[in-house]
Amino acid sequence: MSRKWLAGVVVVALVLAMGLAGCAGGDTGDKVRVGVTVYNMSSFITQGREGMEAFAEANDIELLWNSANNDVATQASQVESLINQGVDAIIIVPVQADSLQPQLQAASDAGIPVLAVNTTLSNEELITAAVLPDDVKAGEQEMQMMADALGGEGKIVILQGPLGSSPELDRTEGINNVLANYPNIEVLAMDTANWAREEAVNKVKNWISSFGDDIDGIVAENDDMGLGAVQALKEAGMSVPVVGIDGIEDGLRAVESGDFIGSNLQHGRVELAAGLAVALKVINGEEYEKNYWYLMPEITPDNVDQFIKNVVTEKDAFLETLPELMAKNLASGDISNEEL
Amino acid sequence: MAEVPVKAGEPGGKKLLQFDKQRMTNLLLRNLMALVVIAVAVYFTIVRPQFATTANMRTILIAAAPFALIALGQTLVILTGGIDLSVGSIVALSAMTSAAIIVDHPERMVLGVIAGVVVGLLAGLVSGVVVAYINVAPFVATLGMLSVASGLAYAIGRGAPINGLPVEWGLIANTRFLGVQVPVLVMIAGFIVLGVIMTRTSFGMRIYAVGGNRTAAEVAGVNVRGILTSVYAISGALAGMSGVILSSRVISAAPYLGKGYELGAIAAVVIGGASLTGGRGTVWGTMLGLFLIQTLNNGLDILVVPAYWQTVISGILIVSAVAVDMVAAKRSSG
Repeated sequence: MSRKWLAGVVVVALVLAMGLAGCAGGDTGDKVRVGVTVYNMSSFITQGREGMEAFAEANDIELLWNSANNDVATQASQVESLINQGVDAIIIVPVQADSLQPQLQAASDAGIPVLAVNTTLSNEELITAAVLPDDVKAGEQEMQMMADALGGEGKIVILQGPLGSSPELDRTEGINNVLANYPNIEVLAMDTANWAREEAVNKVKNWISSFGDDIDGIVAENDDMGLGAVQALKEAGMSVPVVGIDGIEDGLRAVESGDFIGSNLQHGRVELAAGLAVALKVINGEEYEKNYWYLMPEITPDNVDQFIKNVVTEKDAFLETLPELMAKNLASGDISNEEL
Repeated sequence: MAEVPVKAGEPGGKKLLQFDKQRMTNLLLRNLMALVVIAVAVYFTIVRPQFATTANMRTILIAAAPFALIALGQTLVILTGGIDLSVGSIVALSAMTSAAIIVDHPERMVLGVIAGVVVGLLAGLVSGVVVAYINVAPFVATLGMLSVASGLAYAIGRGAPINGLPVEWGLIANTRFLGVQVPVLVMIAGFIVLGVIMTRTSFGMRIYAVGGNRTAAEVAGVNVRGILTSVYAISGALAGMSGVILSSRVISAAPYLGKGYELGAIAAVVIGGASLTGGRGTVWGTMLGLFLIQTLNNGLDILVVPAYWQTVISGILIVSAVAVDMVAAKRSSG
């Protein structure tokens, strides 16, 4: 009896799944169709999707969205499926840097342009164009902010992203580039908190146990870890400069309140919309560049209000300006600009 | 219920002499783990005196609290011979549920807390019913719940973390009573309550009985299905509490919160001397196992040992603890 019951559950689940899949199917007209596969629906990608959709609507583009749930194999089959659907271009926000070589070859054979956005893919020849954040530069910027805040000398601790991931490697490289200019800044400890706030809070608490008041500043490779550090400092009754990267909502608020000395904005809406704007250029046969670098705008107490508007409080108004902004940015080459 | 032997199911458990020997070994093992924790603490104090400050003890306690709740729930499940792989995702689901409520209604803090715990309880209850009444293996049932709860956590945030929570949400985990933060008190209360339940009540004894020998327990009149359902429900509720605490401490919620915590909790239970086949283990042992892990994390950070070496060390630790357990158990039975 329970087997029948189970079979019933399975059937219902399948029907539901098919119903959901049915909703995803779209009409195929003469519209430009761009296939997108992203590593996962992170907050960055969720923002980016808003930006892409705003740009797509303004330019009459049909987007075919796929999320790979952080699995390279899933992403590979999504690219293959997009090739089979004969889309006009494919935008890949890779799960893993330097992956997907066979799929890139297949797309190239089918004459479909491929754009790598946010993370690079192997074999430059098979990629039509790339829109990439300059993570080395972001690391340099945040370390420079900290060095300035400390007046060029002091002792710091550094929270890294997941060791070996490409943003971590690049941001750490940037931090080290700047540190090389400041022999009087000593790194007491440098370790990963895997981008996570609750991991960073414990890590920094432990470092505070070890170094106490010797810590003069905390450099976090993303805002979430920086916010964890702020919490740890509060619990310990300390206050030292903290700097981050990303410009998530809570990070922007931290700059506003003075918990952070600054951050660096990686605005998903702007970066991913730029990827789609470049794809459209390619499809339309316009001139384009091979690599577009997204240089993260520095967020300081002086300009944070504007970024809070763009990212949080008035994001819908900002999205309306995006199509025009993209035209301006691609013309100037400064793709991270947020002002019309 | 008094006639249901606590050590039911152990080979040779009928003979009084061997029974005593087994108890001696267990006692020794428990003390052995306590000795290991003390030895580790002494070592860190010698190399780095900052380790032994009250501030650092508080640091260890507050870091341990959310893990302790999960590990306590996991102990009950493992005592019945089951396993709960879903606790990490339940942490995320509960945190996201609470956060989703209070981000729009900052005045409904109490509702936020209750909803987080209740969601955990319900998730655990579902796993428990599936295990107890449909006889799905606990590994499979809770693996399914791991997936479902994680997916729901992402669905609540539409794939993204919830930012912009009111500062007051942080008061739950960051208010101090008697010199420590609230989660530490919750942990201590949880430890005492479950400790008393497991050693002093018939409910606790029945949990041991179900894990020791299910058939014997049934014959003795234990409501095995009820017991099984309840341990998963308790585990889920504790994971929910853990999610609320974690979310409150850093005033945010992320759908990937708690990822992999189930393995940490299982490790604490196993290091604490529990058997994965059920029937053997204690709440006290779990707390020792947990504090061994937490003390190591803290001390190794204080010595600035890189995270990758920390994972190597904890891996070796888990296997050694179980290996010692096996050798000791073999000795006592042969």
